[in-house]
Amino acid sequence: MTAPQNIEKHFAFPVRLGLAIASIFVLGCHAHGQGSETVVVQDFLSHHCTSCHGSDDGEAGLNLTEFPGDLSDAGRFSLALKVHDRVHRGEMPPPDQTQPSDTDRTRFVAHVGELLTHQERQLLAESGRTVLRRLNRSEYENTLRELVGAEVSVRDILPPDTPSHGFDTVADGLRFSQLQIEKYLEAADVALDAAIMLNEQPESFHRRMSLNEEKEIRDNLDTPEGTIKDPVSGEKHRVLFRRLPDAVVMFSTGYPPGDFRQFNAPASGLYRLRASAYAYQSHGQPATLRIFAHRFREKRLLGFFEMPVEPREVELIAHLNRDELVQVMPHGVGFDPEGKGIWNVGAAEFQGNGLAFQWLEIEGPLGAWPPSSVARLYPDVPLREIPKNQRQWRAQGTLGYELAPHDPVASASQVVASFAERAFRRPLKENEADPFVQLAIASLEQGSNYEEATRVAFRAVLTSPQFLFLDERTGQLDDHAIAARLAYFLWSSPPDDELRQLADANKLGDSDMLRAQTERMLANPKSQQFVRNFTGQWLDLRNIKATSPDKQLYPEFDEMLEASMVSETEAFFAELLSANGNVDNFIQSDFLMLNRTMARHYSIPGVNSEFFQRVALPADSPRGGVLTQAAILKVTANGTVTSPVLRGAWVMKRLLGTPPQPPPPNVGSVEPDTRGASTIRELLDKHRNSETCASCHAEMDPPGFALESFDVIGGWRDRYRSLGTGDKPPWQFEGRDIWEYKLGPPVDPSGSLPDGRAFQDIREFKQLLQNDRQQVLQSLTEKLLIYATGAGIRFSDRAEVDQIVSAVSNKDRGLRTLVHEVVQSELFRNK
Amino acid sequence: MRQLNRRTFLRSSGVAVALPFLDAMDSRRSVAAESTPPRRMVAICASLGIHSPFLYPATPGRDYEVTPYLDGLQAFRDDLTLISGLSHPDQSGADGHSSEQTWLTAARHPGLGGFRNSISIDQLIAEKIGVETRFPSLTLGTSTSSQSYTRSGVMIPSQSKPSQVFAQLFLEGKPEDVSAQMRRIGQGRSIMDTIGEQARRLEQDMGRADREKLTEYFQSVREMEQRLARAQEWSTKPKPVIDASPPQDIEDEKDVIGRMRLLMDLIPLALQTDSTRLITVLVQGRNDVPPVPGVSIDHHNLSHHGQDENKISQLRLIEEAEFAALGQLLSGLKSKSEGERTLLDNTMVLFGSNLGNANSHDTHNLPVILAGGGFRHGQYLAFDAKDNRPLCNLFVQMIQSMGIEARSFGSSTGESLLD
Repeated sequence: MTAPQNIEKHFAFPVRLGLAIASIFVLGCHAHGQGSETVVVQDFLSHHCTSCHGSDDGEAGLNLTEFPGDLSDAGRFSLALKVHDRVHRGEMPPPDQTQPSDTDRTRFVAHVGELLTHQERQLLAESGRTVLRRLNRSEYENTLRELVGAEVSVRDILPPDTPSHGFDTVADGLRFSQLQIEKYLEAADVALDAAIMLNEQPESFHRRMSLNEEKEIRDNLDTPEGTIKDPVSGEKHRVLFRRLPDAVVMFSTGYPPGDFRQFNAPASGLYRLRASAYAYQSHGQPATLRIFAHRFREKRLLGFFEMPVEPREVELIAHLNRDELVQVMPHGVGFDPEGKGIWNVGAAEFQGNGLAFQWLEIEGPLGAWPPSSVARLYPDVPLREIPKNQRQWRAQGTLGYELAPHDPVASASQVVASFAERAFRRPLKENEADPFVQLAIASLEQGSNYEEATRVAFRAVLTSPQFLFLDERTGQLDDHAIAARLAYFLWSSPPDDELRQLADANKLGDSDMLRAQTERMLANPKSQQFVRNFTGQWLDLRNIKATSPDKQLYPEFDEMLEASMVSETEAFFAELLSANGNVDNFIQSDFLMLNRTMARHYSIPGVNSEFFQRVALPADSPRGGVLTQAAILKVTANGTVTSPVLRGAWVMKRLLGTPPQPPPPNVGSVEPDTRGASTIRELLDKHRNSETCASCHAEMDPPGFALESFDVIGGWRDRYRSLGTGDKPPWQFEGRDIWEYKLGPPVDPSGSLPDGRAFQDIREFKQLLQNDRQQVLQSLTEKLLIYATGAGIRFSDRAEVDQIVSAVSNKDRGLRTLVHEVVQSELFRNK
Repeated sequence: MRQLNRRTFLRSSGVAVALPFLDAMDSRRSVAAESTPPRRMVAICASLGIHSPFLYPATPGRDYEVTPYLDGLQAFRDDLTLISGLSHPDQSGADGHSSEQTWLTAARHPGLGGFRNSISIDQLIAEKIGVETRFPSLTLGTSTSSQSYTRSGVMIPSQSKPSQVFAQLFLEGKPEDVSAQMRRIGQGRSIMDTIGEQARRLEQDMGRADREKLTEYFQSVREMEQRLARAQEWSTKPKPVIDASPPQDIEDEKDVIGRMRLLMDLIPLALQTDSTRLITVLVQGRNDVPPVPGVSIDHHNLSHHGQDENKISQLRLIEEAEFAALGQLLSGLKSKSEGERTLLDNTMVLFGSNLGNANSHDTHNLPVILAGGGFRHGQYLAFDAKDNRPLCNLFVQMIQSMGIEARSFGSSTGESLLD
């Protein structure tokens, strides 16, 4: 695909060239000591450009008579770049004008390119491509966790970061303000509160429990069916559970929930949860068990499991907050083969499916007390257990221990210096820890106790520039900077001990070592952070909750499906990463990554587990690749209707890396209409047939047309769902007929690309898209480089990008290969 | 009121809350109070749009007919101006709701490419007059997002718990809490000194672009230090005494309207006591069903009504409730007298949305109501729906009416919209 032709009609160039004073000619001669270049450029311009772009009121308001002028001006630089690119791609001069010879074109492009590179190198000589960058929210949270050794959530305390060039790792967007500092102090406090846990040891809990012991559930079971509950309304009691010798069957996801109130987390910490259950009256189908933690407000989903008809024991280790309780809930139960629910029938005669829940066992908090985070912050500082009768209450608990160093001043100096060294991710410079140590000592002198005094110093370290900024110096990065760049790239976390030791020993400059470390780090579960943070932004997965599908139109949508959608796309990326799968798989793959929820959504049989597994793509399935993954189809739609424009723009922006220009001002968008009378395509046709819109839309819409076969939650459709007119759907939902929506007009997924190649449907479209596989690889390369290095791709980076692309193409086109090439590149290893 | 945990109290009242306010030695306030009452501004945005057909009359001018949404505001007909045909240019952004970030900043193409937000008008004004009050500004909301942005484009999170805001404004801490807070502020200042010095040292061998970043950090640290210094001064001075009991927070996040109403009750108290002169409120509709009688579909979905009549009628119920809350604010302001006028006469209230047509995420033709603030009100001004005027032209007039010299803001063109 080529870039839109008519963009300049909408967008006058921002710079009025006529005002320029300095010109290329001076710069060109000076830089290269020969006049022939300027002649080449000048000749080309006067022959091919200035007849249209020759004055300030020329075409697109563009005057090229003094091109390019002083390139140190950012506006003129970007203009020159645009001219370079459009001539390079053959878009200018336009097809209906006399075309330059290939030699002239190549020479012009080469000369302008050299000027651009020269200018950029000068600009970057001082600070490098990547400007001093601070940790973003996720990195800050992960770093804090590792540093203090406690599972703390602080990201929501911090102001959100503004992504730049598509990623929140890019320095330009990572700003500072007074507010940012204030919030860092707050976050540091939260982390230190959690880490310096000196409360008396909570009672540990270890018991196996059944729902039959829960009062609310017993009440529901033991109250006779039909008992009048409310004499005024006449509301009668419904039994919603069934007691079996070995289990309590849950038929409903409503009230009362499966709360285990016998348990109340005695302290924040890690707990082991084990549960046993089986699917009941389910005709061989599994039933889903969900496990939540809550404090009677928002629930946190700890995990979910597909339970077969035979009892299955599952286990998970979860962090629970103090006073949280655990809830078990089924999913997709409570309807019988005729579609009747438990509320219609009552539990006694009910033939529908349920989850037979046997027992829940909880053990915890796990690990030593006081938690290991105390020793992590205060290595070698003795702890004194406070005698029972002297214990005092403080924040959320009774103090059971206190830090008892023999020499508080000496100990504080040591503790603070070692904390600073870990926090700064490199050896300390001479006397670097002194100011922080001084804070603690001054605080001791003013009468603070040891803990409070050291906390003041910790807070200072956690808001210091050495901690917040990545320490990268212009030129080739030193070993510690490489270690940090690598760790934040692949883990969104600080370097671990091994990386730190290798950096201390100056071994990370070696390519083989770098490769070995990359392999080791990708094998570590922390690399899931890379998968999540990179795909979350590259593929827009972070926007998954931005729209909520209409409940009438999409009764089958729920949070489980939403969560699984994101996991599917992450699992797909992770699979390519671990198996070094060909990057072309992003366009089309012969396998899918599915769990039961997603397999059902895609009508693919045979997947019965909650875990994502690699499944061969069935011959008749339109899926494969990222475009047809539900998460992508959801983030490119709003809750009620799909827009080919948005989906097409997404494909250009995310997959091909050639974002369309924003629409011109004063052009309205197409208004969604779900009454079933007209399709989005008919509405859009009016719009795109107008002359000003046609050229961009010819480029933008085709991928969206092909994707019209998928609804807003990524389900397949032949006809649009309608809330107005239409036919009754011939299929069922949860065993019953559909009454929520009707079937409207048929979907037309055909279209043609701007070059005329036509496609009938999504399968054919994906085949055509294979032609752009190099473009997809290049775009992904650029995005990985931006994410990894924290800087946008500049003109002078292009050669290196091309080099990586051809290296990966010449090898196996694998995603893991690509990650290695990125890490080995000069762009990664220099500031 | 729920007993505040001591540590929480210290944290909120010590650092986050005790923002700069009037210098004790500064006599401006007492003098000002006796002469002319201060000017204030409140800006309220309903981020999921307002269904225009229920808002705008067919006829512009002073004799416009009553529409469903204006019905409840008839008591304030002469206190407000209804304006159509305004927008910020170039608002197509990262997604359909990106303009939420720019309603008060007018930065272009929110979220695209190397987008960086600019300062919102409330913060711009706060830079000039913030020192006069205990709080330079209040940023309130029904959730944690807001429309207030600092000069470096960082969003200031909203306070969504009225009880906490009330406590910050009017409740005194216990003596031991106050002294612990003082100590904490002192520690905070030492920390700022230390890390500021670190930044200075690091700066020495860095290139220009890196130095600029470090300078931004350094300035942020210094501003924080100044804030703490002011907080230290203020923590010994009494807070205003008022005759009102603390509000009870609404825990249910879905109850956006309920939360909005609580804020509307709080605002007149904050303004009347001159605790602040600048308030922004973000009323953020959600992806779930609000507890409004007759509504069964979630608000975001209703805003994308697709011309479905049932949805439009449910949407109307929610938006009518929002307008009722606005009426509640206007009446709260109007019922308080200041000199010979009312608090409303000294307070501009801007009410609107960053979306003109939420059904299609259209950012043109933004709904705008300006009430109070001493303007000559009582009419419906209809500007060209095809060729909108910049909303910033109104912003410039608002900034000027706060007594600040300003010629331009954002995309303003210098034209006055109101006489």
